[in-house]
Amino acid sequence: MDCEQLNPLYEEYALGILEGEERAEMEAHLARACPQCMPGVAKARFVVAQLALAAPEMQPPAALRGKIMDAAKSSANTAVAIPVAIPVAKPSAPRTLFPVWAWIAAAALALVTGYTIRQMGNQNAQLAELRKQMRLATLQSQALQNQIEQGRMVASVMMSPDSKSLKLMPTKDKNMPMVHAYLHPHMGVAITADEMPAVSPGRTLQLWFVPKNGMPVSAAIFRPGASGQIALVAPVTVPMDQIAALAVTEEPAGGSPQPTSAIAWMAQVN
Amino acid sequence: MLLAVVQPFPEGSQPADAELMERILQRDAGALETLYDRYGRPVYSLVLRIAQHPSSAEEIVQDVFMQLWRSADRFQISRGPLEPWLFTMARNRALDFLRLKREKQRRREDSSDSEVVPSMIARPDPEGAIDRSRRAEKVRSLMSSLPDSQRRALELAYFEGMSHSEIAESMGEALGTVKSWIRGGLMRLRDSLEEASS
Repeated sequence: MDCEQLNPLYEEYALGILEGEERAEMEAHLARACPQCMPGVAKARFVVAQLALAAPEMQPPAALRGKIMDAAKSSANTAVAIPVAIPVAKPSAPRTLFPVWAWIAAAALALVTGYTIRQMGNQNAQLAELRKQMRLATLQSQALQNQIEQGRMVASVMMSPDSKSLKLMPTKDKNMPMVHAYLHPHMGVAITADEMPAVSPGRTLQLWFVPKNGMPVSAAIFRPGASGQIALVAPVTVPMDQIAALAVTEEPAGGSPQPTSAIAWMAQVN
Repeated sequence: MLLAVVQPFPEGSQPADAELMERILQRDAGALETLYDRYGRPVYSLVLRIAQHPSSAEEIVQDVFMQLWRSADRFQISRGPLEPWLFTMARNRALDFLRLKREKQRRREDSSDSEVVPSMIARPDPEGAIDRSRRAEKVRSLMSSLPDSQRRALELAYFEGMSHSEIAESMGEALGTVKSWIRGGLMRLRDSLEEASS
């Protein structure tokens, strides 16, 4: 679906009532920070929030204000290709002594048999090719499903009013793009970025929770997509109030138990 | 254009929401007090409408404002104004309460609630709430102009957090009809608020 088709659905999405394919399409647009749908949904959130004003106006108990103020004053987180082995039949013919006519008949039979076997071989090859294409299509479909699901999760974290928005700034090359992070205590940490530089083969980017006390904790291993985009959600494995910062480093493929290179992007959290 | 309508306080009269949120980050309890005076009533009204239970509504409102106090850094003016953010947070909290209550009722563990819902109080709007009052009037007027079934479908979606299929079942209507009512109602609300802001 394109942005024009999604436009009349912004309010239903903001209301939390959009379902199925339409919801998945919307979240895919939001996950890639669609320049039309992002502001469209932001406006829709405002429109839908106005329904609150349709509630009959009531006066809260006078004591509630004091309770809140007293409480305030006292309170100071790849798809894998599967190689397919194709068995090929190799028929063999035994040699025996026969009269000439028998040789001619045998030769004719051999020709027919050979032709048939070759045809069968071709059919086997075609069948194998079809199977290979089907497996590829299945893998592509699974990858697309995963992408849509990931986009949905990213969008949910991004749009939640309970998420804390952070900007991870580049620490080495100031011309590098910033990485956006959205920390949600239950849904996880969503990471998005555009125009990220390619990561060398054999290397990966790794996201870390840097706790107030103790060693960094790995949050996720990722690589920018072909167009330099990043959109992922990882679980939050450190209590929110214990996270001092989020950091990204470049590590050997597969990630490292602890950072082995200088921080490339970072944002203070608490 | 539409978002411009939620700047309820002209510069120079009262501190803007963003400024108060900044002050809350500096642990200025007075800023929270000002925000409560500004939004306490609509938030309480919304929560009570959803929860239908005064003491629970009180707890939810307290929870919402304490969340504002503790997590003011989660609010960013660049992502939109405070009011819809606050209303969305209050609605989510109240709907969570409602779902929990329904779950308890399903398990027959719910105790009866004899509390009386306080009567509606018509009180003159303070200066700062005039814009909201105008929008409230617009929203109520729109809602009352909708056919009963369409209004009911919208209310079930917003105030009770029901899905299309739950609404269709509850109203005994076809799913397609319910979807069309809700989409139509929301589009009219969008148009009406856009007209009001232009």
